[in-house]
Amino acid sequence: MKSHQYRNSLFVILLMAVLVFFLPQLVSSYILNVLIVGMCTYLCVMSVYVLLGMCGQNSFAQAGLWGVGGYITANLTIKLDMAQIPSMLLSILGTALICFVLGFAFFRLKQYYFTFATIGLMTILNSLFTNWNEGTGGAIGMKDIPEFGVFGITFSNDTQYLYLYFGLCAIAFLLIKVLYNSALGRSFMAIRDNEIAANCMGVNSLLTKSIAFGISGALCGLAGAMYAFYAGYLSYPTFTYNQSTLYLVMLMLGGTMSPVGAVIGSFVIIMLQEWLRPLQEVMMFIYGVGIIVLMVFQPEGILGGVKSLYDKCKNRGKARIEA
Amino acid sequence: MNLQLFVSGISMGFVYGMIAMGMVLIFRSVGVMNFAQGEFLMFGGYLCYTFNQLVGLNIVVSMILACLAMAIVGIIFQRFVYWPLRTAQVRAIIVSMMGASIAFKEGAKLIWGSMPKNADKLMEGTIQTASGAFIQKQYLAIILVAVILMVLVYILLEKTFIGNIMQATAQDQYTASLMGIPVVLSISLTFAISAVITGICGGLLAPIFFINTTMGATAGSKAFAAIVIGGFGSIPGAIIGGLIVGLIESFGGVYISSTYQLVIIYVVLILFLMFRPQGIFGGKIQEKA
Repeated sequence: MKSHQYRNSLFVILLMAVLVFFLPQLVSSYILNVLIVGMCTYLCVMSVYVLLGMCGQNSFAQAGLWGVGGYITANLTIKLDMAQIPSMLLSILGTALICFVLGFAFFRLKQYYFTFATIGLMTILNSLFTNWNEGTGGAIGMKDIPEFGVFGITFSNDTQYLYLYFGLCAIAFLLIKVLYNSALGRSFMAIRDNEIAANCMGVNSLLTKSIAFGISGALCGLAGAMYAFYAGYLSYPTFTYNQSTLYLVMLMLGGTMSPVGAVIGSFVIIMLQEWLRPLQEVMMFIYGVGIIVLMVFQPEGILGGVKSLYDKCKNRGKARIEA
Repeated sequence: MNLQLFVSGISMGFVYGMIAMGMVLIFRSVGVMNFAQGEFLMFGGYLCYTFNQLVGLNIVVSMILACLAMAIVGIIFQRFVYWPLRTAQVRAIIVSMMGASIAFKEGAKLIWGSMPKNADKLMEGTIQTASGAFIQKQYLAIILVAVILMVLVYILLEKTFIGNIMQATAQDQYTASLMGIPVVLSISLTFAISAVITGICGGLLAPIFFINTTMGATAGSKAFAAIVIGGFGSIPGAIIGGLIVGLIESFGGVYISSTYQLVIIYVVLILFLMFRPQGIFGGKIQEKA
């Protein structure tokens, strides 16, 4: 593990931290609210990155897993009166464990079939959120989830939440970066590029893919806990299949090759939704058409576009020097 | 009661089967699952409503017009959503199809508003059987139209020259183009047929369930289940899978639990995936996927 591998990401995080520090003075409280919820979304997009970008497996269950994390936190804090940090950790662990175990069953299926299984899982989870009154409050949802608090300090205003959640997102980002450079990350990418070859090199693909699913579950669990504490209220329409497809769109828009793509994609779409809000009904239509146009002109996402532009400039510079 | 459930299950099953068949046709032709197939159903329903209720035409005439319009929709869809991305990664196409699905849904909301719409029935009235069950004739009409369409599609695919062209393109686009087959035309035709057979279901369902902008997503997800249960990439599999899903839906809703109706379908789907991933009919195209 060499330090230069992390220099860029530390630099990005530092830059973002400075921006985030002054953010409460720059934007309205409404946009702040949007950004904090957006951080939860970002973690879910990150979980899609781990599965799709690194391991090559496409899952549509992420919004459901996000909900699982949220409902675990809500149950622990409301019904068992547990402190906030342990319940957050437990919801991360719980969601990760659920995914890990399900992974062993689901990853007996390859590619498309796995995706179908996750669509099934998503629908089942959403139906549970809607109808299981004891566990999830059913259609009424769960309310009065306590504010986040640690060492007797309760988080009550948006600025505190912004700083805390930014910290958590930054830690998650760095951990994913560490994963990317680790042996485990490399075996993920080996499976993505060619599963049979990876098996021949001694990668246990079933176990590895299950671990990837587990890690993505942990990220969703964290996002769910964060959302539960911030919103204080959970109900089933938040965790839908459409939300899951949105995560995929966000990641594809940003670029699947790096966690930075997840940052860009989730930020751009969340802010677009806010900026286009004055258009009201037309907004979603433009949004749909926009996705098609973007995919047609830039199938590698924004990051891919920037990268190819950068390479082009670099090569042009080189050619000029040689001439 | 049981007969009633059976008839409604079978007719809904045929609807799911037709949507699934549309998806399978596109999948065999271009190797991508169409995530906007359910939206064809919704769009077809709205077109039928337009010709029937707004223009005031006979339901049969308006259904035929809706079919023609859906063929054009299918070709436009192919031209703008799939064709520019044919060399890109599959997931880029999937995302673009999802974008199309949002655009269809929201476009329909802009054009026709968010109030549910309906159309005339193809066959009015109900039949009362000796055992006292009431069966809406519209359900029988759905079954009739579906069977006719399926036979037509079968004849087109298996017995005609155009069908040979389409199958050749589905097997290998490059080789097909070397044989002088116009690949663009053949793929366009596949999308058009797929849009037509799915769109007509929308018109058939309109008098029973009303058309709204979200009906496509629900029906589309059930069609997914039908495809997997029947066997991925197989057309008879899609129809049988659709019938199974329709029957599970109607009987499961009454005898097991109506709140968990959708869950039952998906539990069956996951069980199928676990124990028989190739479905009932393992399609011959499966290795390609």
